[in-house]
Amino acid sequence: MSLGYLVSLLYQYADSIAFLLLAALGLMIILGVVNVINLAHGELIMMGAYITTLTYHRAHLPLPLCMALSTIGVGLFGMLLERFVIRRFYDDKLGALVATWGVSLILSQGTLLVFGPSLESVPLAAWTFSYGRYSFGGYRLLLFVIAIAIVLIAWWVFYHTRLGVRTRATMQNADMARALGVNTRDIYLLTFGVGSALAGLTGALYAPTTTIVPLMGNQFVDVAFITVVVGGGANPIVGALTSAALLSLIATPLSSTLGTFSGRIGLLIAALVVIRFLPRGISGYFQDIRYRRMARGVS
Amino acid sequence: MEREDKRWWQVLNGPQELGRGRVFWCLFTFAALGLLAYPFVGSVFALSNFANFCLYVPMGLGLALLWGYSGVLSFGQSAFFAIAGYVYGIISGNLLDMPGGTLLAAAGAIAASAAIAAAFGYFVFYGQVSGWIIPLLLLVLSLILETFMAQTAGYQWRVGSVLLGGYNGMTNIPSLQIGSSIFGGASIGFYYLVVSAMLITYLGLRLLVNSHYGHVVTGIRDDVERTRMLGYNVNLMQIQVFVVAAALAGLSGVLYVSWGNYINPSSMGLLPATLPVIWTAVGGRSSLLAVLLSTVTLRWLADSLAVKGGEYAFLIMGILLLVTMLFFPAGIVVTLARHWLQRKPERRDLKKNRAP
Amino acid sequence: MNAKQCDYEAGSTGQLNSNPGSEVEHLETDGESRRSFLKKMIVASAATAVTGFPYTRAQAAENPSIKFGLLEDRSGNFAIFGINKWHGTQLALKEINEGWTLEGGVQGPGGPGVFAKVAPKPPTENIKEIVNRGGDETKDDTVWNEEDEYLVKSGENGVLGRQLELISPDPESDNSQFQSLARRLILEDKVDVIMAGFASAEREAIRPIMDQNKMLYFYNNQYEGGVADKYTFCTGAIPEQQIVPVMQYMIKNFGPKIYTLAADYNFGQLSAAWTRAMAPILSAEVIGEEFIPLSVSQFASSISRIQEAKPDWLMMYITGQNHSNYYPQADAAGVKIPMGSSINIAQGYEHRRFKAPALARFHVTASYMEEIPTPRNRKFVERWRKMFPDEPYMAMEGHSAYVATHLYAKAVRLAGTTDKETVIKALESGIGVEAPSGWVFMDPATHHLSQYIRLASCNEQHDISFVTEWPYIEPWWTRRLGVNLVRHPESKQYIPDEDPFFKMFKKKGKG
Repeated sequence: MSLGYLVSLLYQYADSIAFLLLAALGLMIILGVVNVINLAHGELIMMGAYITTLTYHRAHLPLPLCMALSTIGVGLFGMLLERFVIRRFYDDKLGALVATWGVSLILSQGTLLVFGPSLESVPLAAWTFSYGRYSFGGYRLLLFVIAIAIVLIAWWVFYHTRLGVRTRATMQNADMARALGVNTRDIYLLTFGVGSALAGLTGALYAPTTTIVPLMGNQFVDVAFITVVVGGGANPIVGALTSAALLSLIATPLSSTLGTFSGRIGLLIAALVVIRFLPRGISGYFQDIRYRRMARGVS
Repeated sequence: MEREDKRWWQVLNGPQELGRGRVFWCLFTFAALGLLAYPFVGSVFALSNFANFCLYVPMGLGLALLWGYSGVLSFGQSAFFAIAGYVYGIISGNLLDMPGGTLLAAAGAIAASAAIAAAFGYFVFYGQVSGWIIPLLLLVLSLILETFMAQTAGYQWRVGSVLLGGYNGMTNIPSLQIGSSIFGGASIGFYYLVVSAMLITYLGLRLLVNSHYGHVVTGIRDDVERTRMLGYNVNLMQIQVFVVAAALAGLSGVLYVSWGNYINPSSMGLLPATLPVIWTAVGGRSSLLAVLLSTVTLRWLADSLAVKGGEYAFLIMGILLLVTMLFFPAGIVVTLARHWLQRKPERRDLKKNRAP
Repeated sequence: MNAKQCDYEAGSTGQLNSNPGSEVEHLETDGESRRSFLKKMIVASAATAVTGFPYTRAQAAENPSIKFGLLEDRSGNFAIFGINKWHGTQLALKEINEGWTLEGGVQGPGGPGVFAKVAPKPPTENIKEIVNRGGDETKDDTVWNEEDEYLVKSGENGVLGRQLELISPDPESDNSQFQSLARRLILEDKVDVIMAGFASAEREAIRPIMDQNKMLYFYNNQYEGGVADKYTFCTGAIPEQQIVPVMQYMIKNFGPKIYTLAADYNFGQLSAAWTRAMAPILSAEVIGEEFIPLSVSQFASSISRIQEAKPDWLMMYITGQNHSNYYPQADAAGVKIPMGSSINIAQGYEHRRFKAPALARFHVTASYMEEIPTPRNRKFVERWRKMFPDEPYMAMEGHSAYVATHLYAKAVRLAGTTDKETVIKALESGIGVEAPSGWVFMDPATHHLSQYIRLASCNEQHDISFVTEWPYIEPWWTRRLGVNLVRHPESKQYIPDEDPFFKMFKKKGKG
């Protein structure tokens, strides 16, 4: 095994982590805090990609600005969605499933009707570097850096701000949090907005490297679900990071040595195995350990 | 605990389901007779199309039992549907010349779905996996199957004389045949087969949920630990309900391939996986009747929209679903029925049936 | 919407009475509360939504119209292709109903040796220039005269004095929807012909229904080949028309080491089998092969494997919206290996969807592309754009749909009836038309078209040039296996595994 091959493997690993993280984080935060499975997640990603592509081509704005606009736009859309749709289902979460499914149908088919079957994608700066016989895309590495940065920021907000404390309180026991004066409605609104904004950002970031079609969200959704299952909803941030890292660790060498089909099947089987042994996902497992430790401390 | 010496029709009329009392049963009989009489007025196509809507009812009802009554959501019903379809295709294709081969195939197909469900159920229910994990896990399972089946093109993927067919699907699957009558997709026989499967499933499940067993199942839904404390083998019962739901999905799968003579891996994809959940939620998962009605109605609506709405079909469907859920978050049929029942507190059936 | 201009009437024949959901209404009959009012509103608006929408069923003329059933995906995964094909059929129907037809007709047994319209002079300047860029030069005297206008007056509006009436529900890229709509078209609408399907899975889902009902069926799509069915006519290009030519060109110009990247399903696997079987004959070698599941959209590991293998060129059989992500990703990773293909670009116009130079050095053998520079194609493009100004690209399959529609009209005129068996005989009579791409001929034995194939090459700016052309490639493969639908009707799809020829070169395990 040459050094070049190792470097290539490492690059693939980073690339895979970035994809899983960015695809799943928004979905996972919403699931963890609001406890709603957002079936329109893929369409929010699609919206992000469309906003970036359209502002770039029609308003001729610089690409980073387009991406920022996507993030903000989809985040606002997510807050509207929460305010006028999701909020009605907090007593009965199953309705939210169908409602978000309805939203996803409206968004994807509406996009098809308004913008046609496809858009021209945005260009990608040709940053490449090579090592040995392999060459790598700089933009993909940038995606990895951004994904890690987002996780760090989310972690900081979650653990080192008042907002984070309130959010965690809402997650653990919404009634108690309300009794202590936390406005859980605002927390839900904000969380849904942030989750959506992350979906929008994902769409924007991947817009230069994917095909811009109304159903493009689907390519993110299945891996996002798998990452969520493995990560568990107990702690969305730790869950997303560990789950993306673990799944990539299994899928990357398999794809690289045995082919994409094996990588794909390996990813899915890994999810099954993890769930069998860690029924609440990796983050649930960590939480259990912590509670056990806390319980020991008390007694 | 309930008295066990109820007559079967009293059980059938029990409190675990909407629609009780004389008025309901009169309407029900009337509707059933209407369905049985439909072939005398409907065209062959109308029958075939209506049978196509109804053949999904067992799958929907199975999910209603699993989700509404035992509290376990599943995104995997379409996988059990497709497994049964494939197994039916394999067995019946290999037993083409044998009399009764298709019946054997149907039994084998449903058994296969049930067996896979039992194995899966063993893992998750004894592992006490809970919450949102089971539905998502089932979704992952169906995606594995889809990915795997999609690449089974070619001669090396052959069971006996039947090609699995890869993404293009398994073709020329024989229709169900009893004696010399073939239940092809566009035949009156098939219509009656589907309608009776639908009605029998409904009445059978109604009996089940109102039986002592059914009350325990809802007990598990409401509080797992309490039911366990009362001495019931909760895990085993959950597996049993899961297997029944999978077998019903399998029944729908067999009816589907008998109707269309074809199945392909996209029946296990993301979209088909969500459909039964949508039907169940829209009608209201806490009632079998609601799910039956919403399954048929939504299938009909999707079909009419495809014909008349063209590319607007998905848009209209999305808006309808969204609006329905906004105004009837517990399911449209259930909400309306409750509303109606509340306005008539003097209803006779309420008095007659003491709450358990 | 412009797409609807083709004489549609808003129908209002939806019946609420036949609504299987009317049981729901019983529950609300005696309530006037807000809830039930809302419910009524919803039911009413649903009913208007269903019935008030443009109903793609035109009013019958005095003469009973010829009912033309079309199932193309206008939503779902394949909308990008289905809309294009839907438009192609609409354009052809409009032309036929306004009294136009493509020149052509029964041409005897067919074949360029007998019926070639030898060009009076070398191809237009334009083509000459492009052909000179490399590859096997087309012989001047076998190129058809590209300056003729082949859309001629048919002498009547419609066919046999009857208008063609389009009935086109939307199957939504859903196989079971295809089945139920196919039955609806046959049993309820009693159509005279059905053209349907993009994916092979969609075709296979409805082909048994067509056979059971003896319905004339056109599949207008490039595909993996092998369908031999008395009632099915395929107007798209097939492997023998695309794969062998592009391999020949690529091997000659770039080298003998081939790496195949294929979608992991029937089309990709069977096309890869073709490449494997043909490589030794063309003195080349497949040094690597990878099959990608349809749901995969990230290609980092495939790219690294390709870089490791260092092939002279790549054979691309990847399909679908997820797979097309390969191109920008490979470009971003600095992969600069030439590519050959039988589908990408021509079918999904990736060169227009992705920013240059993601598709640079791409070569595809296509039966049609919008960029074909011949005057007759320019006129065709003009007609199309006039009817559908928003069409992003006129792709290979839209052209197939257009040609098939004209071909059907011609066959009906020849048969003098819409009776399916007679029309099938007419289609089997050695009939052909001058398509915008060039002369195409319906091979009676296999029910596939001989095609005018061009090899398109895409440069750094994503401009297309046609470097080689083959004016007449026959659908010979199933004939090799003894298929002759005129003499032995059958209904199956042959796969390369059934041809011992392919086993001779079979590679031992998967790459």
